[in-house]
Amino acid sequence: MSEIVVQKENGTVKKNLTIKNILSKFAPLIGLVLLVVVLTVLSDRFLTVNNVMNIARQSSINSLLAIGMLLPILTAGIDLSVGSVLAISVMLMGVTTVNMGSNPFIGILVCLGVGSGFGWFNGILLTKLRLPHPFISTLGTMNIARGIALIITAAAPIAGFPYMIQFMGREFVGPIPVSFILVIAVYVIFHIFLTRTQTGRYIYAIGGNPEAARLSGINVDRVLIIVYTISGLMAGLAGLVMVGRVNSAFPLAGLSYELDAIAAVIIGGASFLGGVGTVWGTLIGALIIAVLRNGLNLLNVSADFQMTIIGAVIIAAVYVDVLRQRKNKKK
Amino acid sequence: MISKKFKLFGAAVAVSCMALTAGCSGDKANGSGGGDENVSVVLKTLSSPYWKYVEAGAKAAGKKHGVNVNVVGPNAESEVMQQVNMIEDQLSQSPGAIVVAPSQPETVAPSLENAVKSKVPVLLIDSNADFKGKTTFIGTENFTAGQEGGKLLASMLKKGDKVVLIQGALGNPATDERIKGAEEALKKAGMEVVSKQPADSDKTKAMSVMENILEKNEDVKGVFSANDDMALGALRAVKAKNLDVKIIGTDGTEEAVKSILDGGLAGTIAQSPYNMGYKGVENALKAIKGKKVKNRIDSGIDIITKDNAEEKLEFLKKISK
Repeated sequence: MSEIVVQKENGTVKKNLTIKNILSKFAPLIGLVLLVVVLTVLSDRFLTVNNVMNIARQSSINSLLAIGMLLPILTAGIDLSVGSVLAISVMLMGVTTVNMGSNPFIGILVCLGVGSGFGWFNGILLTKLRLPHPFISTLGTMNIARGIALIITAAAPIAGFPYMIQFMGREFVGPIPVSFILVIAVYVIFHIFLTRTQTGRYIYAIGGNPEAARLSGINVDRVLIIVYTISGLMAGLAGLVMVGRVNSAFPLAGLSYELDAIAAVIIGGASFLGGVGTVWGTLIGALIIAVLRNGLNLLNVSADFQMTIIGAVIIAAVYVDVLRQRKNKKK
Repeated sequence: MISKKFKLFGAAVAVSCMALTAGCSGDKANGSGGGDENVSVVLKTLSSPYWKYVEAGAKAAGKKHGVNVNVVGPNAESEVMQQVNMIEDQLSQSPGAIVVAPSQPETVAPSLENAVKSKVPVLLIDSNADFKGKTTFIGTENFTAGQEGGKLLASMLKKGDKVVLIQGALGNPATDERIKGAEEALKKAGMEVVSKQPADSDKTKAMSVMENILEKNEDVKGVFSANDDMALGALRAVKAKNLDVKIIGTDGTEEAVKSILDGGLAGTIAQSPYNMGYKGVENALKAIKGKKVKNRIDSGIDIITKDNAEEKLEFLKKISK
């Protein structure tokens, strides 16, 4: 099965793109379109330029976390620490730029560096300390990072960031939020990385069958460390966008964001078993969540109801994935 | 196979639609007062009794003045970004005014500044936030609340008695102010403050803090706590030692009022979340009509002791329905 997938991702089996395959590939997109249609009918406020740009902005943080999360999930792993890593990254950026008054560029480097550093640490725990599953190593990191984020300023928030740092989360180009342009740019880069580079192909291969990947000479540990480092980097980048949106860093930032990121990846058609999942599916997954939340807010559906509905969507999406797998096995 | 999949997706979409329509029709029934004006109220959460009181007050004001009041809030006070999103989503519906109780005051400033720029009056309740152009802040005068608590405690004790102050998390302006007020009133009344320690507004922490204090000072006669939960924690420590210590809390939660009735706490200085919601909507309407609104409005306090606890409990039960 992994072979089929690898080939598909490489785009070498174009002739396999029958109507059935196209439909199955675009199932999440069809879901998103249907959702938009339904919400447009239900609320006259939904399909306005202002609101669509709201959705673009609101989805950007989760979109960045989700694309980072896609990599561990492709290798049949997971990264539970992204929300906490986001928090520690923005808190340390706050300490350097606001409290110590450093140059904003140094602050941005600190933010992305701390994120990558914690991601790398996750990779080391998994590959060098040989902790049995990334669920455990990243669960540990999740608590460590959150704990430190709370300790740094005794739980006090940091506000008043320089404009340079706020730029990405706050500014617009015409009506389009800079954060959404950033998301598109990052997704294009990830698409190229995963489909056109050797490391990208190795990531799919490891998820499909780690033993086979190892035997075929892939340095699995190296690839895994890269995977978790990138996931951490994306957490830092998402933090940068968040600080721009709210002009403050606070230690509870990103609390339970890992769950929305995982949901986006899974709704976007990736498999928990590894080896299956695409960059654009993930974007659609993140958009589905953002559109749902926004639409439900416009319709004044209570937050409790929203949770219930998003839960149902996750289960439905994964069930579709299960059916797809069954079909693949039958072939 | 494919068609089956489509049925599934159809089903999923159908379920969401049903939930959507059910959700919004349900909300409209209790959210509207039937008027032309719309006021959006975004709270820290809707999932605790305190915020239910605020919601009840806001809706009551809407009904009285014939305003459509829309009360929303995330699942938990820690859902800070979700609250920011909710504010944006409310603003995109162009309400006449917006009333906000910010979870992290700094985080809401950028979106509320935008609201002010687009001429939507912004009223803050419960917790203040620092930004240009807000209409007013409606909340408890914490220093006064603390003073009243101190006076109440002093009235139950003799001059020279030893008292303890239990603080919230250091740096929390609300609880810090209460402690300042209480300390001033207690010293004025001639009490001796033997200990002043933070317990982060947490019941369990307050219990161990109180246990430690009692180790050193068995003759403590009174406690003032910056919130009710900590007062109840301190009460447990005192009960475990079978001591007679008068404990005063702040907030006026149902649990605290019940404890007063059962002879546990000696009293509490109740905040008025109901008033915050009520006055928030009332003044939002004033602002919409272009009338002048004071830039700081006291939502008032109630001093609850055994004498009036029964009444208070009934009121709390009535408005939380």
